[in-house]
Amino acid sequence: MDTQFLVSLLLIVASFGLYIGIAVFNRARQTSEFFVAGRGVPAIYNGMAIGADWMSAASFIGLAGTVMVLGYDGLAYIMGWTGGYLLLTFLLAPQLRKYGRYTVPEFIGDRFQSKTALVIAAIATIIISFTYSIGQLAGSGVVIGRLFEVDAKIGVMIGVVIIAIYATFGGMKGITWTQVAQYIILILAYLIPVIFMSLQITNNPIPWLSYGNVVSELGELDRELGISEYFAPFESASKWQFIALMFSLMAGTAGLPHVIVRFYTVSTMKAARWSGAWALLFIGLLYLSAPAYAAFSRFILMKQVAGSPIDSLPAWTDKWVNTGLLTMADTSGDGILQWKEIAISNDIVVMATPEIADLGVFVIGLVAAGAMAAALSTAGGLLIAISSSFSHDIYYRIINPRATERKRMSVARWSILIATIVAGVVALNPPGVITQIVAWAFALASGTFFPALILGVWWKRANAPGVIAGMIVGLLVTLTYIFLAKYGGFTILGIIDTGAGIFGATSAILTNVIVSLSTKPPSQKLQDEVMDLRYPEQLTFKDGEVWKDDRVI
Amino acid sequence: MKKIDKKIADAYFHARVRLIAILLLFWFVVSFGMVLFAEALAQYTLNGFPLHYFMGAQGSIVVFIILLFVNAYISDRIDQKYGLVEKRVKATKGQTLQS
Repeated sequence: MDTQFLVSLLLIVASFGLYIGIAVFNRARQTSEFFVAGRGVPAIYNGMAIGADWMSAASFIGLAGTVMVLGYDGLAYIMGWTGGYLLLTFLLAPQLRKYGRYTVPEFIGDRFQSKTALVIAAIATIIISFTYSIGQLAGSGVVIGRLFEVDAKIGVMIGVVIIAIYATFGGMKGITWTQVAQYIILILAYLIPVIFMSLQITNNPIPWLSYGNVVSELGELDRELGISEYFAPFESASKWQFIALMFSLMAGTAGLPHVIVRFYTVSTMKAARWSGAWALLFIGLLYLSAPAYAAFSRFILMKQVAGSPIDSLPAWTDKWVNTGLLTMADTSGDGILQWKEIAISNDIVVMATPEIADLGVFVIGLVAAGAMAAALSTAGGLLIAISSSFSHDIYYRIINPRATERKRMSVARWSILIATIVAGVVALNPPGVITQIVAWAFALASGTFFPALILGVWWKRANAPGVIAGMIVGLLVTLTYIFLAKYGGFTILGIIDTGAGIFGATSAILTNVIVSLSTKPPSQKLQDEVMDLRYPEQLTFKDGEVWKDDRVI
Repeated sequence: MKKIDKKIADAYFHARVRLIAILLLFWFVVSFGMVLFAEALAQYTLNGFPLHYFMGAQGSIVVFIILLFVNAYISDRIDQKYGLVEKRVKATKGQTLQS
């Protein structure tokens, strides 16, 4: 047991004690509170909770490494995962808030007055959220596994137990305030190492201003080595792949059920707008820092690690080489470790860099605690989305409409527990790397929910057959393209599996519009409800007239 | 409940849509626009960064955040102008009352 192990463990246990304490303290009592925290969370805290939900293992653990490995091309993730908030906040969140349903499938079911649409949407929610949560649990397994120096599988099991306890007993209310605490720990854990590295390398404590020169210096080092410059555009994939991936991540952001459901926790359309703005500010802090993290890590590896004699490498190398995610082999046989002889996996950059830069046991432990918060907080939001879809949309609305509140509550809790365990079992042997799984989840969301929601909110002529056909076609096109690009070597304009959402969304929108127009329009009542979404909370559209409610409650 | 002129309600709606359209135009230019012209932008440097890299890593995100706050602020002003300041939510359609 070394000091590092004890410090890391202490920080993780202390932070989780805090989250669970908050969850237990806020233990939900009523069903409506359980789902959407009684719709009374202030915009700024809701923004932090959205941030914690959002910044998953992929963002916290994987993003900086992806930017480091892909260079400019990796920035598609940075722009895509932030730019999507504009689509969400401008085009969907306030309207969905006014419509006032508990879940996204419920909105789709009521807006189109179709149980079939509701069931398809509920199934899509479960598929997307489940895929995504597998990645999160696998990420937590890697962190816990490394910490205890046990197999990642045992790490996953420990993670499953923790998430199942607080999600089952706390509900969303527990999770909203838990997420605020998690956001704070997570952002500190990310910023502190970046600021320390910035001081170490540039003597400037503000990484966002200082790393520009590091980026150009990396380009010079690459030129000397005769490899393509770090910042050269479209080196790893085509420009169209960059655009397709960026679109897919943006539209997926606007369509992800576990993020949208957060906007139901605010009390007005106005609060929904401010929540979106605060959310991106809090999320942006991490996203602005990830490329700095990447540049500093690469700089340290190129300047301090590359060029050292192969037989006197620093102590941290052994530990990471043993994980199989880092290889350093003197293939040229000159006794010196060259940059080209270092192969580092995207997924260990954030975790390993504080060790490489020798930032001390406390910072290293803090990063481990932040990584855990990132993986488990997102998993929490996803599991709530799965549970709401099942207990509310499938069980209460389809299977047993006469269920008592007590019965529904119990179904919600059991479905969280079962979903957590099943996701944990799959995560023991994940079907791909974490970032890949997450990108697929986004592609699926942009192919199914994004078109259904945008057209549902903004186009009153969209009808049930249109949305049903659109969601099915979008789902099939996205899935087919992912598989063809991944395993069949089939690509269009160099767009690979992660950019599949652009085809899914396009075909779903076309199908929805064509089928809607060739079938009969929705009832006047439904069209009025869509008209009603044009106006703010206290205006009601009825029979071609607009009514204002002056009551203040 | 009192009836208000539909023309006023529609003017409100159009003011909001116009705002969103303008903001999304900026959004498109700093994201997709900057990627489309990345090679051309690479010739310029800003604060040590090649310009295309700066836009992808910092410029676009900062603009996104500003656009969201501008939207929230101007939308509030539009609400005020039309006398539609939201107070507390009314209880309809399965919404829960908060006291």
